[in-house]
Amino acid sequence: MKKGMIKATGPFERVVHWCVALSCLFLCITGMAMMYHSLNVIGTLVGGMENLKVLHNYCGIFFAVSLLFTILMWWREAGLFSFPEDMQWIMAAGGYLWKVEKMPEVGKYNPGQKMFFLAVAIFGIVMVASGLIIWFPDGYTVDTLRLMYVLHALGFVVIFAFFFVHLYLVTIGAPGSAPAMFTGWVTRGWVKTQHPKWLKEMEKDGTLIVYGEGKYRK
Amino acid sequence: MNKQLIKLIDLSRCTACRGCQVACKQWNEQPASITHNFGSYQNPPDLEWNTWTLIRFQEIEDAAGKVKWLFRKDGCMHCTDAACVRVCPTEALYHTEFGNVAINTDKCIGCKACIPACPFGVPKLNPATNRISKCDLCYTRLQANQPPACVLSCPTGAITIGDVDTMLAKANKRVKELGGDANVYGDKFVDGTHVLYVLTEKPEVYEHLPAAPKVADSILVWKDVLKPAGLIAAGAVVAGAFLHYITHGPKTPQEESTCEGGKNS
Amino acid sequence: MTNHYIDLKNSDCILIMGSNAAENHPIAFKWILKAKDRGAKLIHVDPRFTRTSARCDYHVPLRSGTDIAFLGGMIKHIIDNNLIQEEYVKYYTNASMIVSSGFDFKDGLFSGYNAEKRSYNKDTWTIEKDEKGVPIRDYTLQNPRCVYQMLKKHYERYTLDAVSSITGVSKDDLLKVYNEYGATGAKDKAGTECYALGWTHHTVGSQIIRTMSIIQLLLGNMGICGGGINALRGEPNVQGSTDHAILYNILPGYLKMPTGSVDTLQKYLDKYTSKSSDPQSANWYQNYPKYAVSFLKAVWGDKATADNEFGYSWLPKMDDGKHYSVLHTIDNMYAGKIKGFFAYGSNIAVSSPNTTKVRKGLAKLKWLVNVNIFDNETASFWKGPGMDPKTIDTEVFLLPAAASMEKEGSQSNSGRWVQWRYKAANPPGDALSDGDITMRIIDALRELYQKEGGAFPEQLLNLKWDYKTPQGTFDVVKASKMINGHYTRDLIIEDPSGKNPKEVNLKGEMVPSFAKLMADGSTSSGNWLMSGSFEQKGANKMQKRGKDDPTGLGLYHDWSYAWPLNRRIIYNRASCDLNGKPYNPKMKLLEWVGDKWVGDIADGPWPPLADQEKGKLPFIMRADGVGAIFGAGMVEGPFPEHYEPLEGPLTKNPFSSQLNNPTITIFKADVDKVANADAKFPYVCTTYSCTEHWCSGFTRWQPWLLEMQPECYLEIGEALAKELGVKNGEKVKVASVRGEVKCVAMVTKRLKPMKVEGKTVHEVGMPFNYGWRYPEGAADASANYLTPSVGCPNTFCPEYKAFMVNVSKA
Repeated sequence: MKKGMIKATGPFERVVHWCVALSCLFLCITGMAMMYHSLNVIGTLVGGMENLKVLHNYCGIFFAVSLLFTILMWWREAGLFSFPEDMQWIMAAGGYLWKVEKMPEVGKYNPGQKMFFLAVAIFGIVMVASGLIIWFPDGYTVDTLRLMYVLHALGFVVIFAFFFVHLYLVTIGAPGSAPAMFTGWVTRGWVKTQHPKWLKEMEKDGTLIVYGEGKYRK
Repeated sequence: MNKQLIKLIDLSRCTACRGCQVACKQWNEQPASITHNFGSYQNPPDLEWNTWTLIRFQEIEDAAGKVKWLFRKDGCMHCTDAACVRVCPTEALYHTEFGNVAINTDKCIGCKACIPACPFGVPKLNPATNRISKCDLCYTRLQANQPPACVLSCPTGAITIGDVDTMLAKANKRVKELGGDANVYGDKFVDGTHVLYVLTEKPEVYEHLPAAPKVADSILVWKDVLKPAGLIAAGAVVAGAFLHYITHGPKTPQEESTCEGGKNS
Repeated sequence: MTNHYIDLKNSDCILIMGSNAAENHPIAFKWILKAKDRGAKLIHVDPRFTRTSARCDYHVPLRSGTDIAFLGGMIKHIIDNNLIQEEYVKYYTNASMIVSSGFDFKDGLFSGYNAEKRSYNKDTWTIEKDEKGVPIRDYTLQNPRCVYQMLKKHYERYTLDAVSSITGVSKDDLLKVYNEYGATGAKDKAGTECYALGWTHHTVGSQIIRTMSIIQLLLGNMGICGGGINALRGEPNVQGSTDHAILYNILPGYLKMPTGSVDTLQKYLDKYTSKSSDPQSANWYQNYPKYAVSFLKAVWGDKATADNEFGYSWLPKMDDGKHYSVLHTIDNMYAGKIKGFFAYGSNIAVSSPNTTKVRKGLAKLKWLVNVNIFDNETASFWKGPGMDPKTIDTEVFLLPAAASMEKEGSQSNSGRWVQWRYKAANPPGDALSDGDITMRIIDALRELYQKEGGAFPEQLLNLKWDYKTPQGTFDVVKASKMINGHYTRDLIIEDPSGKNPKEVNLKGEMVPSFAKLMADGSTSSGNWLMSGSFEQKGANKMQKRGKDDPTGLGLYHDWSYAWPLNRRIIYNRASCDLNGKPYNPKMKLLEWVGDKWVGDIADGPWPPLADQEKGKLPFIMRADGVGAIFGAGMVEGPFPEHYEPLEGPLTKNPFSSQLNNPTITIFKADVDKVANADAKFPYVCTTYSCTEHWCSGFTRWQPWLLEMQPECYLEIGEALAKELGVKNGEKVKVASVRGEVKCVAMVTKRLKPMKVEGKTVHEVGMPFNYGWRYPEGAADASANYLTPSVGCPNTFCPEYKAFMVNVSKA
């Protein structure tokens, strides 16, 4: 870790993130294995499609719990938009698509991240609820059940698409982001570029933790 | 070669002797359930994982006070556009060369998706094996050029089997003979079922028989829209990201600031 | 059946009355529906709307036990509207004969009634004969004493109004049925009747069938394709067991069981050999001695000689005036007069009326043998509900028997087709075929008699008893050959005219036809009707499976063997006019061509009636050669008369002051209670068997069948259910004066209240297939707790079909 790096996430946050992320990814893959017959072959990796179904179901439970923590942890920071700057950011598409003269300063989470969080949160809940009903269909009407299958598929479409956006941005789309979820430390430059307002807030509140300073002093 | 077969159930000839119900259980080695008389000749009360065919008893009274006792042999209709086949994740449910919908229980994963999908309420889960269980039109018998057990057992010729054209012609001829509200049921929806009824009453008169069965819209949305949409959306995102990368490039952080913190160290 | 199952398809109108053919004879219904396809009308007359009704053109509900009123009305309708087949009635029935002047009918009673004995002296029930002993006839049918006019007079009282009021059938419905069925009086139309236990289970059961026989004769429907009176017999072998004397009062082949006063063979033969002086009557039963002697030869073989009356004295004899039906036996058992009892393939603790009486009776036995394929309520009666095993001394032996598919032998269907059936599987465990069980018992008895002597050992020790395989098991083929009969010595018959070569029959060869049986001991035959079931050289005709049907009428002569002599429709000569031309040219059952009959196996080789010299009347089994519209053979009278069931809703019979059949035996045990027109038991009840179960219910051990009909139910109309506050599927208590049963209420639209003599009458019904023994924990819901011990005086078939109950919420 280089000196001067800024602490962006705590270990708990990172663990929760990865729990949601990996279970979500696993659910997507196993779900797809069931949705697309040509991907049935994935079932072989786990000893057959029935095992795959069982893993999908129990992984869903894991996902549900992780999602609960995610929401509890992030709903304030990532679940609420702040106006007007978030609106401006959205109108400007975050500056990703065209050149924007003056971008509103972004806090800890930009509206894109918030949308991703909300998408995961809302559709995650939809997936969990519909998944549970599909898993335990007794007592539900045929119409309800049929609706659940559609919602489950819809949720997949949304989450899966957002997943790739997320993947792009944390890898090559916005370099420097990924360490936030690995080591928890990001460069000051990255923060300044991506979340300048947050940086100012932390500096103002004295909550900024810099590697090599304070208790992180070597 | 077109080997498509149709089983015709002429309800005007059914005496509800239930020979078919027993023959089905015998050939397919299905155990009996413990039942109670619930005020009807019908038993078991509904199709079950171990009851693939069932005579439904229904009493109606017409405007003139004439009582009719309707018997309907319920069971898999073997749809050409079969919702169960559409939703089955593992292709355990499939169409055979005869057009019937058979089930490969080795492939079935007990996901139960076919249960609500079926417009006729046919597939049932065997809780002991966690496999779907339903009529396969005695596929093994068909392969041996034998009629299904129910057909073989029927004493009055109410259940017969044959090629599509013959059976359709037979059904239409019978309906003409019967007149009144008699009608052929099964040829007008889900691209035709491989089980046809000659009904003596309008379809809506019969309990548990959809007048206009179809693959549910939700299944079409799911399988024909969302299923490709999942790939298209994901693909579009990947493509968009790539495009973004090569046109706009990454949003690189202002690296000079990385050492900024250094002065405090 | 006078006809056979396949022949049902040839009918133009099928009256199903006293039968639930679709449920209890599903295969019969195959042919019934084929008739419907041809345009035949199907009429179901039954108190209940059943699965049969559902497939018929009309269902006409009538009150249980009023069939004679219904059919009597039809007779009146046919006569009043001249729907009869005139030539047939004149020549082929006794309509034209003159009834003896002493015969009379007044207020429900025929001449000769003895109120004390509850029976008739039949001396006046005769036909006038001329000096040669030939019946006097009036072919104009105008003589007021001729049978036709007497019949007309008898049924004058059966007006539409009266019949409608008694039966509860609307006049419209009566007319609909009468007209539809009456139309089969046309020469080229055939009407048939299918009955079963719905007719026989009445105190007037035999007379209901008689009434229909009269209708069939009036309409010319006997002996023709698509006609006849067709008893649909029960599965698996009721026809066969009747042919082979399951009833106490007959010997195999419907020979009479002798009574004590008939103490010599000569007396026996004199009494039962039919006599006729009419040269045109074939009078087939003049051959009675041949059948009787051949039977004795079959039983005692070489021990039966002319010197010892062929062993006639060894035959058991019934006491004069005594009856030995199940009803009488149970009555005696209840009175403690019976020591041991064989319930062979039967479950009387469920199947016989007044279950309380039966089960208490069983407890008075010293020993009871039950032969069955499962344990049942009879074998286990001592541990049944309400029984205290400590107080019961009856020793019970349950002998496990082979099921029908576990043994080889012949099986006769209702159409008299005797079909050979092969063994499909070995019986499980210690189970044995009936033949083996019987053989072991007889062997043991013979051994005991041999060792210890005892009273009257001859009848057992002299038995011809060689029906064993080398392995010592029952040889069913040997037994069947004994039944067919063989030549007991070489018999060479020369043709007196010398035209034909002499007939050589060697000792031991099969008798090829009952026409060849002899009264001198040179032939033996266990059952003359079956003579011809084997070819002379020993081939078994019952195994024939040829599928040729050259007539297209479904006769299938090459399929199995039908008694008599492979004749598929009996009295078939009546299908042709006096010149031997078929009445219905489209259905040539038989035709006189040149000098012989062509078609079915004709009922005798003689020319048709127009040949005054050699021609014979068609009803050859009757002494006078004609169909009996006036039938003196019945206990109750020559014309059937309506009497109310022992228990009914009426206090008075609207037709006469005889409320019940005056000749029924009234049992007087303390448990034989009767509650006629009693306000405490206001509803008519009937019992029956459902498709899914066999009689007293050993099918309850078959899980698939039990699943479909798991427990006893009461079918109850919506109107009555509403009145009683009973909901569908609720438990109800059904009670008669004799007992009560708890079961599930099946509230149905299929039973409607009827108007009977101005009163609203509700009828309910329940199956009798259930008992406590199985399934485990089953209710003691045997419907026969409710039924009375009373039966038809001709057959003693119990009145299961009409009695009175109350219904309440349980």
